Amino acid sequence: MKKVFNIIICLLPLAALAQKIDRTKAPAPGKAPIIQVGSPVKFTLPNGLKVFVVKNTKLPRVIASLNFNLDGFKEADKAGLADMAGQLVKRGTSTKTKEQIDEAVEYLGGSLSTSSASAVASSLKSNFPALFGLMSEVILHPALSAEELEKVRKQTISGIESNKDDADAIAENVVKKLVYGANHPFGEIMTTKTVNAIKVEDVKSFVNNYWKPNIASLFFVGDIEPMEAKKLAEKYLGTWQKGNVPAQQFEKSAKPAKTYVAVVDRPSSVQSVVTIATPIQLVKGAPNDIASNVMNNILGGGFSGRLFANLREKHGFTYGAYSSLQSNKYVGIFKAEASVRNEKTDSSIQETLAEINKIRSEKVGEDELSRMKNYLAGGFARSLENPTTIAGFALNIDKYNLPADYYQKYLTNLALVSAAQVQEVATSLLQPSQMHIVVVGDAKQVAKGLEKYGEVKYFDIEGNEVAAPKEVKADASLTVEKLLNNTIQAMGGKEQIEKIKDAQLNGKVSVMGQSIDVVQKIIQPGSAVMLMSMGGMVVSKQAVVDGKYEVSQQGMQAPITDEIKEGLDESTYLVPELMYQQKGYKLNIVGIEKVDGKDAIDVEITSPSGKKSHRFYDKETYLLVKTAKVEKGPQGPITQQQYYKNYQKVEGVSFAKEAVMDLGQFKMNLNFEAIKVNQGIKPDDLK
Amino acid sequence: MKKQFLLSCLLLFIGATAFGQSIQFEKYVLSNGLKVILHEDHSAPVVAVTALYHVGSKNEDTARTGFAHFFEHLLFEGSENIKRGEFDKYVTNAGGALNANTSQDRTFYYELLPSNQVELGLWLESERMMHAKIEQIGVNTQREVVKEEKRQRMDNRPYGSFLNEMLKRAFKVHPYRWSPIGSMDHLNAAKLEEFIQFYKTYYVPNNCVLSIAGDFNKAELKEKIAAYFGTIPTGTLAINRPSIKEPALGGEVRDIIYDNVQLPGVFQAYRAPKQGGDEYYAFNVLSTILSGGASSRMNKVLVDKKQEAAAAQSVPFFNEDEGVLITLAIANVGVKIETLEQSMDSVTFQLKNELVGEREFQKVKNQITSDLVASKATMAGIAESLANNEVYFGDANLINTELEKYNKVTREDLLNVAKKYLNKDNRVVLYYLPKQKAVSK
Repeated sequence: MKKVFNIIICLLPLAALAQKIDRTKAPAPGKAPIIQVGSPVKFTLPNGLKVFVVKNTKLPRVIASLNFNLDGFKEADKAGLADMAGQLVKRGTSTKTKEQIDEAVEYLGGSLSTSSASAVASSLKSNFPALFGLMSEVILHPALSAEELEKVRKQTISGIESNKDDADAIAENVVKKLVYGANHPFGEIMTTKTVNAIKVEDVKSFVNNYWKPNIASLFFVGDIEPMEAKKLAEKYLGTWQKGNVPAQQFEKSAKPAKTYVAVVDRPSSVQSVVTIATPIQLVKGAPNDIASNVMNNILGGGFSGRLFANLREKHGFTYGAYSSLQSNKYVGIFKAEASVRNEKTDSSIQETLAEINKIRSEKVGEDELSRMKNYLAGGFARSLENPTTIAGFALNIDKYNLPADYYQKYLTNLALVSAAQVQEVATSLLQPSQMHIVVVGDAKQVAKGLEKYGEVKYFDIEGNEVAAPKEVKADASLTVEKLLNNTIQAMGGKEQIEKIKDAQLNGKVSVMGQSIDVVQKIIQPGSAVMLMSMGGMVVSKQAVVDGKYEVSQQGMQAPITDEIKEGLDESTYLVPELMYQQKGYKLNIVGIEKVDGKDAIDVEITSPSGKKSHRFYDKETYLLVKTAKVEKGPQGPITQQQYYKNYQKVEGVSFAKEAVMDLGQFKMNLNFEAIKVNQGIKPDDLK
Repeated sequence: MKKQFLLSCLLLFIGATAFGQSIQFEKYVLSNGLKVILHEDHSAPVVAVTALYHVGSKNEDTARTGFAHFFEHLLFEGSENIKRGEFDKYVTNAGGALNANTSQDRTFYYELLPSNQVELGLWLESERMMHAKIEQIGVNTQREVVKEEKRQRMDNRPYGSFLNEMLKRAFKVHPYRWSPIGSMDHLNAAKLEEFIQFYKTYYVPNNCVLSIAGDFNKAELKEKIAAYFGTIPTGTLAINRPSIKEPALGGEVRDIIYDNVQLPGVFQAYRAPKQGGDEYYAFNVLSTILSGGASSRMNKVLVDKKQEAAAAQSVPFFNEDEGVLITLAIANVGVKIETLEQSMDSVTFQLKNELVGEREFQKVKNQITSDLVASKATMAGIAESLANNEVYFGDANLINTELEKYNKVTREDLLNVAKKYLNKDNRVVLYYLPKQKAVSK
């Protein structure tokens, strides 16, 4: 029978009801509510399946939840196997296709989900027996077909691809691999490669080996009588055969010998995801379990943790900063995490470490401690609103061999936690000198200065160590003159270039199925026009013909400034490097940058009017590979970048057949389909 | 066959209504205009104290967007009797939880507390309404926090900008054209005086519904509510309630957004009527047909059969004045975005061409029935539903009668709504495409 335990919440003071309110201080709490932690009805089927029933008639719903006691499963070069097997289980049975199962479940207004170590179904009470029948069918007779595996594989790979750009997902992967180690099941990262290695036989052997009733617990929660639940369990899962489950053995995850910084370079980041983490030995129900939880909440639990107060409220570095502590029978983890703006990466690490040091070195005040206990006690009371909480309690008691009254005594034990215990668990669990500090962000902007926390190492998004992004200095012997000469040579040489009197380039930009035609005509030196048209209509024109300048957008003339004149004049040269020095441009070699993965020489160019821009020349070929300049936009400065690719010689002179224009939010590819030279173009042809 | 089918429908239907629990509540108005809704329930020692202010981003000045959401942050800064930064501490110290959220129509604050702390909730909410601290230091701090929130939720997250991008194209004149996060430049430019003015205008008892659900004694609670809220003066400043009618879209709007994403995505928004009418309920049913569960059409066709989408969803985004039905899909690796869009269209447009089958129609009604029951699982959910229904429809009791509205929807209604609204010239289509890898500057 269902037993009910009554617990009085802590020893909160009783407040007399005031007739008039005093606004100047918070009202005292009322009489502590009586908290009832119901105990589920429990029985075991002959095949070893443990069944728990938590009756709760508040809503006419029932949830059935099957959980396998399966913590960690080593997958090695098949990382993702258990996850994918878990998904595959509900995708077809010996008698039903996936589509039929989905439809049948949803026709009952229910839901059914499966994962590597669980199956959960819920619906309104009236439809529950039918739904439970479907649930048992996927548990006992999953089809595990090759066809469905391919679908799951494809989706999983898409998920992996999509996560490659998600800073939080990257952080999560790299942190787990570094903290637990690549050889620990908790540290394995799914990659396209490991997912592709999974075969249908692997999935079948996983399900056959591990989905056994003797390591499983089944919960019924909601508007259901225990007898009814028992009948359902026996009817649908009574025939399930027990079996030996292979034992699992893992290496221990060790703390790093010394604190270090792991940087994952994500150049597009506007925020750094900073995680300070370490493996911990903490088991649910251990003597320090509750004190550890109190400690973690003081440090970084929600809105009233110290990390939140410091990093968000005091400094405004972030939207939120939190810590978490996970216990586990093999190895647990501590994490302090925040997404902070780039320039505050260093400061955020500093403040987080300072808070960790503080909770170790200073005893928490009685006031803060009792407030945190109230917080946890209240949270405990509120969690009882959800009937599955009781099921979760029973699961933990069973899984971790906790005393049967662990949760009944939880509030009493919580009240006993002392400041000394809090400090002791902080000291024993958190060693600031043995932390992984993981930063996912724009290394160029944020990595500087992080050496003070330990060696700075670089990792890719799969947690493999990589070389630091090189900061290459340009060759000191390379002068501007040499560079210009090399470039001019690479483009075909002065003589060849000057032999070209005129050129016409026809290209296309395609945007969303719409095609823009681009025509560029040049008469060297002095005259040039660029026309862009859509469906025969000219949408943009830029021209200089015999000293007359014109810039128009959709027929609207733009005012001509000196800067525009300069730009147009420059466009009349196929190789402006020929004229830079004569015309008074100042050039300065700034350094080396990667362009499309290759080293390029970055040259800052200052025009006679003072306009600055950058040109990047490939370090090996000296061909122009990129230009960059900052223009004023309606919402502030915009960096315009153009990339030049696929050089081909026409009459001995190199032309880039492909240009990519990148305006930050907008990017388009321009392909030149035809390049003709010396056709005798006249200035009139440019008008 | 037919008979059996009808019988099973009938059983399901009886099953659902026989157990549909009625939510009892009391509603009254204080003399200062504050609406109070109370739902007493002793099943767990918890209480949800909520305050819904009828102000969202649509009430904002076009030069001061982001104000409503900014207040959702600012009003945790403290009051005359609550020191700066301590508002949330009172709640967490009591073992409670609190938060707030802002939509285009309203701002919602809540405290979830152990039931012996219900008075704390009243004190906090009455302090917030009576004399919150609007000071420069709080403005400055929260401005940084909001900027980080924007970076984290929109700028740093793949596809995170889609709602902003969608709204500004779907609406040309209505204030729904901006999303609650608003403009950081506007927040930077705003003077302290303007924040104070906004507070005095919108944070007044006559613009608020106080909705409380949970374990309390109603008679005692009513006395306390009168004591805490009764003396707060009625607001006198004019509340801006825009009555702008957004004209028809007048043709399909298409655009490309280059973002830090790996997989291309298609985001479509069909302009739709405002919430609450018959068409609104039909739209929600349509949306469930499209993406409610694994057997829904988008999941079945796009994700499963054709395997063109890694994920596909339809989101009914309905508001007080106007709505949109959003359909979106993220392409699987190697799938052309145009192909994906074509498949999405064929799924969506099928709703215009064919009557939904009887069994499928019954299926989505069963799903909706189930969801409506589930939405009553928490005191917080109940308190929020009661407040929303009161503010939007003047009918808190809709929480008990909403199922009837859904049951009135016929298959023909679905066809009509689809024909009327799910048209190309009534939609915005955005392609999200990956920025190329080469960018290094």
